[in-house]
Amino acid sequence: MKLAKVRKSFSRAVGDNLHKWMILPAFLLFLTFVLIPLAFSFGLSFTSWNGIGKADFVGLANFATFFSDERAGNAVKNSVVFAACSVPLLNVLGLGYALLLDHKNSFNKVVKAIVYVPAVISPLIMGYIWLLVLKDNYGVIFTIFGLFGASGSYANLLGDKDLALVVIILINAFQYVGLTMTIYSAGLQSIPVDLYESASVDGASWWQKFLHITLPMLGPSILINIITNIIGSLGIFDLVVSLTSGGPGYHTETLSLYIYRLAYGARSGYASAIAVMMFFIILIPVLIAYFIMKKSNLYLNEDEG
Amino acid sequence: MKIFKTSLKWLFYALALVVIASFSIIPLFVLFKLSVSAPGETMAETLTNFTTWYWGNYTSAWNSSNLGTAIGNSLIITLGALVILIFVSSMAGYAIARSKKWYNQTFFKALLLSMMLPAVLTTVPLYIIMKFIHGINTYWAMILLLAAQTLPFSIFVYAGFIRGVPKEIEEAAIVDGCTPFTAFWRVVFPILKPVTASIVIIQGVSIWNNYGQAVYFLTQPNMETLPLAINSFFSKYSANWHEMAAAALIGIAPTIIVFVAFQRYFVKGLTAGAIKG
Amino acid sequence: MKMTKMTMSGALLALLATCTLTGCNKTSEAVTLTFLNGKSEVVDWIDTEIAAFETANPTIKVNQVFETDASSALKVDINAGDIPDITSVYETSLVNSGYYYDMSGLDAWSRVSGSIKELCTDPLTSKQYRLATNRATAGLFYNKDIFTACGITSEPTVWADFVSDLQKAVAKGYSGLYMGGSATWMLGHLMEFWGHGIIKESLGNVAANLAFINNDQTKLKFTGTNSPIKTFATKFLELKTDGVLNSDFLTASYDDQLENFATGKAAVISQGMWALSSIEKDNPSMHSKIGFMPYPSMDATLAPNPVILSDVDSGYSIMKASAHKDEAIKFLNFLWSSANQAEYCKLVSSPSAFTDVDDSDWSDISTVVDAALTKGTNIGYSSTPSGFGGGECGTLIQGLYIGDYTPDTFTTTYASDWNTAYTAANA
Repeated sequence: MKLAKVRKSFSRAVGDNLHKWMILPAFLLFLTFVLIPLAFSFGLSFTSWNGIGKADFVGLANFATFFSDERAGNAVKNSVVFAACSVPLLNVLGLGYALLLDHKNSFNKVVKAIVYVPAVISPLIMGYIWLLVLKDNYGVIFTIFGLFGASGSYANLLGDKDLALVVIILINAFQYVGLTMTIYSAGLQSIPVDLYESASVDGASWWQKFLHITLPMLGPSILINIITNIIGSLGIFDLVVSLTSGGPGYHTETLSLYIYRLAYGARSGYASAIAVMMFFIILIPVLIAYFIMKKSNLYLNEDEG
Repeated sequence: MKIFKTSLKWLFYALALVVIASFSIIPLFVLFKLSVSAPGETMAETLTNFTTWYWGNYTSAWNSSNLGTAIGNSLIITLGALVILIFVSSMAGYAIARSKKWYNQTFFKALLLSMMLPAVLTTVPLYIIMKFIHGINTYWAMILLLAAQTLPFSIFVYAGFIRGVPKEIEEAAIVDGCTPFTAFWRVVFPILKPVTASIVIIQGVSIWNNYGQAVYFLTQPNMETLPLAINSFFSKYSANWHEMAAAALIGIAPTIIVFVAFQRYFVKGLTAGAIKG
Repeated sequence: MKMTKMTMSGALLALLATCTLTGCNKTSEAVTLTFLNGKSEVVDWIDTEIAAFETANPTIKVNQVFETDASSALKVDINAGDIPDITSVYETSLVNSGYYYDMSGLDAWSRVSGSIKELCTDPLTSKQYRLATNRATAGLFYNKDIFTACGITSEPTVWADFVSDLQKAVAKGYSGLYMGGSATWMLGHLMEFWGHGIIKESLGNVAANLAFINNDQTKLKFTGTNSPIKTFATKFLELKTDGVLNSDFLTASYDDQLENFATGKAAVISQGMWALSSIEKDNPSMHSKIGFMPYPSMDATLAPNPVILSDVDSGYSIMKASAHKDEAIKFLNFLWSSANQAEYCKLVSSPSAFTDVDDSDWSDISTVVDAALTKGTNIGYSSTPSGFGGGECGTLIQGLYIGDYTPDTFTTTYASDWNTAYTAANA
């Protein structure tokens, strides 16, 4: 009898307190597959490990090397240029598309879906497709030029040391503009219509409405888009690998690619150190963007989140 | 005059839409035209020929690579990972949105920070861990790994949405006799449908397309996922663009179908979850 | 009640014991070997052979693991303590760290040609840690018809003739030397055959190999006067300025190169025999037009003779940590039987290292290749430090092509990158 009572109150206790453990599964997964590898990598950054055998402790030597490494500086420059161009491009295009397609009709829905579809294609496949479109021998554009008899004047810009990065920026923008656009569309739809109506009554022009109602009310969308775009662009990897492998030379080698090559090139310790630096390279712009947006007149929700 | 102006506006508008749609559809168009052209054709013929359609590429692509098995593997892993992801991240999002305890909030900040770390950082130690738990070439390890990697964004979205759900809803259920735990699953979770749908699309696509982890941890041909099969197809038959295009389209088709099916919920879920967050 | 419980648990225990004992028995009978293979073109063939082997040897199972980057996979395996039994990966840094099993005592060596055995020997210990079943050859493929059309009557043996012959081809509208510049490994090969070729020819293969492995800069002379690296950079740039390289050099791929050669648009390409089957697939009638010649030397004073690559291909090693070396040797001997190897030679289009294998039809241009091997000094691949192999060198060559480096800055960058990688790998 007593046993039965104990059992019941035990299960009651478990049931009532189970919710306190709700975060546990997530935490365990995160611990095993994210936190522990990260800690390991962080530790590696203080060593000169070459991939096999033991790791020798070298203190901050790897970080010192980073600041004098020309190729690292080049990789940082490529990543920063990539992000500095991609983030505005994605957001201006995305917002533009969202505004253009704002009316709720089925034609717009179809166009929005079409614009989004490239985002569900894996970046590797996207790279291969564009390789085929851009290549010199029997590529798509080459053939089209040929149909007009001008095949001699086409040059594959992926081989141009200055323009290759631009090509990658454009392809990346056009793959992910759908995602940015969808977030802005959602944001536009949540702006109360009466705000616009009262502004019309006051005689506001389209541009004034845009500047003083649309933009501020889009605050959360802008925040999300800019931050995810900064993180994504600074870490760009797959597309670069499939389009240029960092070439020609090192002109499109981004930070992720350099780290990857170092890790598999017997310089795992140094690779980890650069990855740690990369974390700060991403964190700083994100924080700056966040604080700028907080200070501006964007209407952001004042949550703790 | 006014009618002329309005119809001009509509014309310009329609034109803009056509241009936008065309740009986005170029890769698919090229891929499609290649896949339905016979292997011997030149690019010029492929692009200009709209009368004859050759379907043999699809059958030869299917036969010469592992596509059938690969699709099966991708399905198992993606569905498994999504189930675990939704189960785990909705609970965690709830805990973070409702509880003020320090460990929940610290965990949330750690999640946000982890989103800024390059994935390349964890590849080598991850391999060692996977070997240690004998998880290489297994479904369960891949499922757990991919669920873990998609956790941060999912938890972020769930937490944001749940903050907007009034507490009264669970409280009413508790008054009716539920434990807080069951209250969440019975009452709150169904409300989260739009968010769940958007997670399914965004993370489902990401898991389905995963290459960076699958390439190291699924090395046996019978365990390959679709991106791996397509990529090895590309490296083996790199000169045969027609078969490659067919293979690539087979690979893309499932993601597009899922996207179209879930599209309605997608926008709703994003609005609610992301904007409020 | 009590009795039943006791008998039940007793019975359970007995069952458990029997299971474990029989289980133990089973595991001691069946051995599973892991074979880590990095060659994609032979994966299917190996699978067929494994099936045949397992039928003949029911107690041994072989598990082939294919990885595109088998070298990295092996290193991670070593780190995780899960080392394969057999592998196709052979790296000097791993040899020096003692991870390979000493195969010098294997019976199979009696069937292997002396020159291949020499190429398989580790210069530091004079032992063999791998056995290669085939010979790899690389040189300059040329289109005989184009040569005739341009009035070229004999193969160029010196650099000046080589360049002027290429210019004649360009004048007639063909590509001269067609390179797939986006495939950095291909560019890296140019350094190994032309740049390092100077070192290998002047020192002899064995001494050169030793110098590379020890990074003996007194012999390698990467920097300083008469640096073979600087010679390479200067002469390579000449190829560009003389207009004999293809205009889409930077974006052309390996397939573009083979296609241009197969369709008769390119006069000369630098490739290995591994490319032959793809070329012939593109254009089956090509084989009567294919010529094959050695690389004319870039430095006629230090190294007057043309060079041609003749090194090992398809090497097999057993890892020292393997617990089933006898079974591994049994499997390898099965793979190495003359019947199986005759098949293999046709598959990979290269001649056998075994003296008793009928490889007479390993390729339809085998006579041309054999002739070429006599016209130039045979050199091997270079032992490069991991982290600065052909691909990385190729990226530098791309930079040289687009003007990021002058021959001088190219040389200093090459030498410094080489040294950094060498120090890191041998830490």
